[in-house]
Amino acid sequence: MRNLTKKRLKESMYAYSLLGPNLLLFLCFSFFPVIWMLKYMFFRYGGAGTSETFIGLENIMRVFRDGIYWKAVLNTFIYAVGKIIITIPISFSLAYILNKKIKGSGVFQSLVFLPTIMSSAVMGLVFYLLFNVYNGEINRMLMAAGIVDSPINWLGADHALKTLVIVSVWGAIGNYMVYFLAGLQQIPQEVLESAEVDGATGFRRLWNITIPMMGPILKIILMLAIANAFNDMNMILVLTEGGPYNASMVMTLYAYKFFFPVSAASSVMPQFGYGAALSFVSALIAGAVTILFLRFSKKMSDIY
Amino acid sequence: MAIDSIKARHNIFLVFSYIFAVVMSIFTVFPIVYTILGSFKTNAELTQGGSFFPSVWHFENYAKAFIENDFITYGLNSIIVSVGVLIIAVFTASAAGYVFARKDFIGKKIIFSAYSALVFIAMGSVTLYPTYSVLTTLHINKSLLGLILALVGGQITNVLLVTGFVKTVPVELDEAATIDGCSQYRTFFQIIFPLLRPILAVVALFSFRTAWNDYLTSFIISIFTPRIKTLTVAVVQMQYSINAAAEWHVMLAGASIAIIPILILYMFAHKQFINGLTAGAVKG
Repeated sequence: MRNLTKKRLKESMYAYSLLGPNLLLFLCFSFFPVIWMLKYMFFRYGGAGTSETFIGLENIMRVFRDGIYWKAVLNTFIYAVGKIIITIPISFSLAYILNKKIKGSGVFQSLVFLPTIMSSAVMGLVFYLLFNVYNGEINRMLMAAGIVDSPINWLGADHALKTLVIVSVWGAIGNYMVYFLAGLQQIPQEVLESAEVDGATGFRRLWNITIPMMGPILKIILMLAIANAFNDMNMILVLTEGGPYNASMVMTLYAYKFFFPVSAASSVMPQFGYGAALSFVSALIAGAVTILFLRFSKKMSDIY
Repeated sequence: MAIDSIKARHNIFLVFSYIFAVVMSIFTVFPIVYTILGSFKTNAELTQGGSFFPSVWHFENYAKAFIENDFITYGLNSIIVSVGVLIIAVFTASAAGYVFARKDFIGKKIIFSAYSALVFIAMGSVTLYPTYSVLTTLHINKSLLGLILALVGGQITNVLLVTGFVKTVPVELDEAATIDGCSQYRTFFQIIFPLLRPILAVVALFSFRTAWNDYLTSFIISIFTPRIKTLTVAVVQMQYSINAAAEWHVMLAGASIAIIPILILYMFAHKQFINGLTAGAVKG
């Protein structure tokens, strides 16, 4: 008995010596921020060196009264829905085509995947120039092609959110294409072949076999897509800073602005307690959307 | 007759497929080509319109970007930070992943649950300040080491990725090594670690890319310590400089300097990048 405990203790010490470095990182940079948020959402706090005052639910109440925040929530939903309903069909179509081993399939995959490895902040700077209203290449091309008569103010209040959706689609299609490719490769070839022998056309095979068999994977992919879309922030920060006049403000970026400035030149009056409360409510909203989606997709699969 | 119509339909499908794939490839590649070609143009060519290719190749844009913006320092910072993150990520994630997959130890259940639970919580920007305050407490908030550790972060995804992979390695190997008199540490470092190469390549590639491309964390940690800025931060901050409106060419040269190393890496390792994405994601 005593030997057993001793052995387990020794084994544990060995395990912790290997786990230790990662465990420390985990505690500092993953676990601690959660605890920090859960504490400071109840405080008024302006950062190290200032006093912290417990104010109970005041921050949370303020979130519910904060019109700009709820506009940001609405924008986040518009952005996420726009991004997902454009990206998913394009990515699936690309995966479906490129899975057929057509000539150049590998090259197309590498090219479409390219945006995935780029820094979204650096590309945000590039898109800032491309979408510039007077000097940008996009307006110049559209006008040269006769599609529009006068320059579109892509980053102005009327279009900023749409522009962000276009740019986010650019960054995402390669990513989801690869997920769909992985899913398509799991469908047994025999099923498709026997359907072909039975005379099912390409479209019917796609509609009646491929898509239903992708169901479970589609569910995972959509969950990832929802989580990612709710978290997107880098590109938005660089491209529009959420503006003009909060026209393209999203949840995470709005919370960010209570912690840090958007550039080294600007400044901010930190309100960490309120920022924490905003983040907490945003995490709840994102969580609720995921749970609703899971419920909904379960119902769908019950019907079919 | 029937076979002819099937063939015709197949050809139409093929034509549409190619058109679609080509259009999408142009859509994804265009901004990157624009960046690199634009980095050789004059500011007037960029802002007033010009041909697709630069009329004269202005290599001096790069010299200007390097000298005016101190890109040599920031480039070195980027290399140190990205390589540092890669090394620490690979070693800590592999050791932790191995322990979770193979060892039974006191407190395992609760620790593993904590890791798994946090995968699903989207924290957003709120993590930035507590991260910074941890570094301040440790007095490393003004150093590259602090930035490296912040970028390595909790590694949850990587650890779970390795854990999944270790479970596919036959446990008899560990046992055989122990019987042969290998110490536990040697078993891990000399027997298991080399076998994890495929998954560690994924961890290495992705953590390098994340560190090289990161903007927010690096920006915040370097706000008060400009000398530890990385290339990505320096490039993005050019947007806010006084001359920004007149220096599109220099901005694009800067952006090119930031993306070319990743493009080169991608040329050699595009298969690993693409396959790595789904290494742990879609498995049933």
